Amino acid sequence: MNRRRSELRNAMSSSNLRDLQRELENKANDLSKLQKEIAKNHQMRKKYTVQLGENELVLKELDLLKDDANVYKLIGPVLVKQDLAEANANVRKRIEYISAELKRLDATVQDLEEKQNSKKDTILKLQQRIQSFQAGKGKA
Amino acid sequence: MATSAGSWKGLERMSVEQLKAVKEQGDLEVNLLQESLSNIRTATTRLEIASSALNDLSLRPQGNQILVPLTASLYVPATLHDSQHVLVDVGTGYFIQKTMPQGKHYCDRKINLLKSNFDQLLEVASKKKNVADEAGVILQAKLKQLESSS
Repeated sequence: MNRRRSELRNAMSSSNLRDLQRELENKANDLSKLQKEIAKNHQMRKKYTVQLGENELVLKELDLLKDDANVYKLIGPVLVKQDLAEANANVRKRIEYISAELKRLDATVQDLEEKQNSKKDTILKLQQRIQSFQAGKGKA
Repeated sequence: MATSAGSWKGLERMSVEQLKAVKEQGDLEVNLLQESLSNIRTATTRLEIASSALNDLSLRPQGNQILVPLTASLYVPATLHDSQHVLVDVGTGYFIQKTMPQGKHYCDRKINLLKSNFDQLLEVASKKKNVADEAGVILQAKLKQLESSS
């Protein structure tokens, strides 16, 4: 009778351990996905930062010009003459848009990093549970 | 020197794993900075070429016969219509018509900006390299210590 009970206990504990390991695997996959997402966001952020820098340099150059300066915009293979005020407004608008996108990306990255940290904590706790489980089995 | 000694002390206290991480991170950052330095060097060279081309062009009179490159190996004959004005690409698809002196001034300004950026980056890169090298030296020493103790 006692042996039967201990066999049952062993079977239950090994199934529990399997469940924990499966859960750990799932959580690790989730963490991996999050890390990929963060990397992608960082890449986009880098791209936008470069664009912002370039647009700010263009704006500085346009600000140095007199009102009668000839400004052209490259549209496809053609240079089209553009009004200085219009060019200025376009560049400013683009800077505003890129800045807003950067803010949005920063918020997204922060949110993802918080999720990543909580996932790491969960994984750590799961690993500790598995270790204590295995230690308990070892003693038994 | 004091800061270097301070960072050395900080590194001394780290574990082998931490030192490995510091060294890897440092090497990665140094590589990125080297790449940026290389890009700045390329851009500076391009601007210097543009500046010398402007100089060369300003010496040629109007109506001078020239060959214009359509591709790397195809040139067409043309006549220089205006040697006093140039179109300058300022970025994001915008071109500004400038006089020769203004064009040269633009090139000089950009070259100076790039050179100052280059110097700043070089300073940062050398500091990062020093930290990575220090971490490497301490890591080697710790690994030897571990080997001898085992």
